[in-house]
Amino acid sequence: MTDPYRLLGVPATANDETIRLAYLVALRTSPPERDRQRFEQIRAAYEAISSAQARRFHALFDVTAPTPEDVLESISATFQPRRPSELRLRRVLGDKSGSKG
Amino acid sequence: MVRLVDQPLLVARHLNLETSRWSSMSRKAKANPKIPPSPHDMDSAALAALAEAELALSRHKEAIDIYKELLKRERRPLWVDGLAACYAGRAQSLAAKGMIKEALVLWRNRQHICGKPLVEGPFLTWLLQAGEQDEAVRLLADTSLPEAARAELETRFAAILLAWPQDKPLPDLPADSALLRHLPAALAALVAYSQGDMAALGEHLQAIPFRSPYRDLKPQLKALALLTTDPTAAAATEVIARLPTDGPFERLTVALRCAALPAGLWLRALHDLDEDSRQLVLDIKGCPDPLRPLLLGLAKLGAPPNPGQFFDLLASHRRALPEGKAENFCRQLLPHAANRLKSHADTFGALPEVERFHLAALAAEARGEHGLAVPHWKRMAELLGVDANRKRHAALIWRRLSGMDIAALGDAGALDPDAIVYLERSVDLDPDQRDTQLRLIGELRHAGALTQARARLDHALPRFPKDAELLFEAVQVALTGKAFKKAVGLAKQVLELDPINPSVRRLIGHAHFSHARKQIKAKNHASARKELEAAAEWLRGSEDGATLNLLRALASDDRVSSGIAIRNAAADLGGGLLGGFHLALEAGRMALNVADLLERGKVNLAATPAPAKVVDLIRMIEAVRDTDTTLHDKTVRFALHPFRPSLKRAASGQYAEAELRLICEAWLRLEEYELLRLYADAALKHWPGQPLFVYFKAMSQYADQPYNMPEHIRYNLERAAEAAHAQADRRTLQRIQDLVYPIEPDRGFPEDENDFFDMPGHDDPSEMFEMLLHVGGEEMLFSIARQAMGKKSFDLLRKNMGGNDQEFARSLVELMTQQARLGVAPAPRKSQVKPRSPFDD
Repeated sequence: MTDPYRLLGVPATANDETIRLAYLVALRTSPPERDRQRFEQIRAAYEAISSAQARRFHALFDVTAPTPEDVLESISATFQPRRPSELRLRRVLGDKSGSKG
Repeated sequence: MVRLVDQPLLVARHLNLETSRWSSMSRKAKANPKIPPSPHDMDSAALAALAEAELALSRHKEAIDIYKELLKRERRPLWVDGLAACYAGRAQSLAAKGMIKEALVLWRNRQHICGKPLVEGPFLTWLLQAGEQDEAVRLLADTSLPEAARAELETRFAAILLAWPQDKPLPDLPADSALLRHLPAALAALVAYSQGDMAALGEHLQAIPFRSPYRDLKPQLKALALLTTDPTAAAATEVIARLPTDGPFERLTVALRCAALPAGLWLRALHDLDEDSRQLVLDIKGCPDPLRPLLLGLAKLGAPPNPGQFFDLLASHRRALPEGKAENFCRQLLPHAANRLKSHADTFGALPEVERFHLAALAAEARGEHGLAVPHWKRMAELLGVDANRKRHAALIWRRLSGMDIAALGDAGALDPDAIVYLERSVDLDPDQRDTQLRLIGELRHAGALTQARARLDHALPRFPKDAELLFEAVQVALTGKAFKKAVGLAKQVLELDPINPSVRRLIGHAHFSHARKQIKAKNHASARKELEAAAEWLRGSEDGATLNLLRALASDDRVSSGIAIRNAAADLGGGLLGGFHLALEAGRMALNVADLLERGKVNLAATPAPAKVVDLIRMIEAVRDTDTTLHDKTVRFALHPFRPSLKRAASGQYAEAELRLICEAWLRLEEYELLRLYADAALKHWPGQPLFVYFKAMSQYADQPYNMPEHIRYNLERAAEAAHAQADRRTLQRIQDLVYPIEPDRGFPEDENDFFDMPGHDDPSEMFEMLLHVGGEEMLFSIARQAMGKKSFDLLRKNMGGNDQEFARSLVELMTQQARLGVAPAPRKSQVKPRSPFDD
């Protein structure tokens, strides 16, 4: 499972109410009829950290290794989409022999 | 009729040709019948069939040689086409390996030798890929080039012109070429897009006609514009999905498809792109330049990534990540990459002691070695328990050590035989955990520690006064302690909270039964009748009704009418053996005259029960033992006594194997050894050597005196153990080992394993365990380990190894060596010794 805090978009210090609100918001954006897999992930994440006891349990016993996607997610908030330069576009548009030229 | 050419493989076999070496065959080889004839000696028909066979097998190189030989004899159009097909096939296989120039040579041979058109198929693509732009320009100027080929060439050349270096003159193309005419608009569109001038972009794209070689650029720039506005836009995804897959600007299409993938997937797809395309995707995503090396490293890791490599990547790029992020991720990776702990300390600073134990425990669990994690969890819990702010964490660890919360353990239940101790520590540190309180009280009740259970209830109930489950547990504790009135009062509290609770209703009814039995035993029949009337208010089932009638009859002062009621009740309780056993059981519970009661119930003790009735009796005994926690085995044995002769006779009946297993298990639990021997014997007649029944038979004779077991019985058991091992029947194997090995005298090692560790000349525990394994085998090692760490821990560890005894033996040697070096060898049952963290240097 992806880090439940990251999945629900809450900080590690979030309390029950904050986590519940984040869970409800996540459910609205990913209802089960639209994306079953995502819905299951959200529900599992909520169950993992829904109470203080659950959060303690998660902190103590969870051995889920982070994934490259987790790292990406943790830094992608700073990303600002931008247009590639003309030069970059021309290099990609041309085939390999063209880009060498 | 089957044509030879339809069966190329058949032809090859028929001709018995090792065709890949046909050209090297000498004429001398003809003398040897095993060596196939040279093609020069074959007639044309056979050679043509062989050529087709080679072509069908995609052995183009060999087929080319054969077709050349055929064309030397006669230039048949069919053979020319065959050769052309061979050249094409060979060229394509070379191109697939990236040998474009070699592919072009073959394609040109196809034109020169076979007279096939040059500009068709993949030729233009290869030409441009090989960088032969001058040749492409020459072809564009060739007026004889077919229109379709020219259009394709122009389309493919468009990509080259867009990337043409600005300081290099354009190739000498015909002035009216669409390539030159539309190039300014295409370049201007690129500039407009890059500068964000969407209006100008629209104008320039409008200037590119529908049939222009640059036409594919239009939807691509449109998709780009949508993507850079919102990378998740559905509109962009739709446009990208419609982009041609094999156009001149395919690289851009592939990059755009990557950029439009959901988060995570695009990162993985990034690695498959070339460097320019990767940077373009990262532009679109808006990845800052300092983070790009990290992202490219992440893309390269693969799925799932190697934890150690992942750790190293994050550690080396830690400064590119936000404050603390890299440290957190690396910390999460440590259980999976324990050998990076030193690197973690060097990079992020040393971890506190409690964290080191935490990581050691998690690392063991990540490897699936739950048993090895236990000492680290214990030490961590001890450290946390003295910190007022983290007592609840410690409580949770103790609770988990007790076996709660670990679904993976399955029916192993408790992780440690000291579950009650762990639960007590957990409750003491965090009394607000109702589930832990409940589990602890239940465990205490099952262990017969009723005083402690009541004390725990006294603390738990005020904290959770409206908790139906806790009150239900209180009812059971009261019943187990024979506090019947208290049990009824508590049960009524449960019903106030949960009015439709059939378990509690039965408990109340049965509590009244118990109290009534007490009164009958004390000859207080009037009081007993009152209790039974109270029981009648709660009980609904037919079996309970029959028991109620029986007890009413026993509480009656009218011996005549009660006799009829007893007979009826015995019949309602199954009649014959079952009804009679019920009467005998009640006699045992209330110290009544069993012979008198059985006579009043008209129970025929002389009848031999049918096998089905014996099985029913066993199931009934198990059910009664489960529901009546106050019932002692000696009472059951007392009730069985009048029926022993008939049960002995019934042993010769026809039973299924599963039925005999069930029956023997019950006799073993009840220590009815004579019955066990008879039924085990009966089973062994049908299934000689069946390990479980061999064990039952041995237990029936030597359960109490295993040291007196004669050699032939021990030999039988060892054979049975081998059979159980072969059948993967671990439980029976274990039971036989438990019976045999405590009396094993001749292994050459002292019985007390501590003596073994003290043997002179064995300073290195690793060497000692290795020698033990070598000389005594796995079973000897297992026997010592089982005694050292306790059966439950041993069984759990063994289960976790998934049945690989060899690997399990290796792990035990490591574990016991480690413990021995710490001075606690072998692993004590209740270790009070601080475990050594594997991370300690």
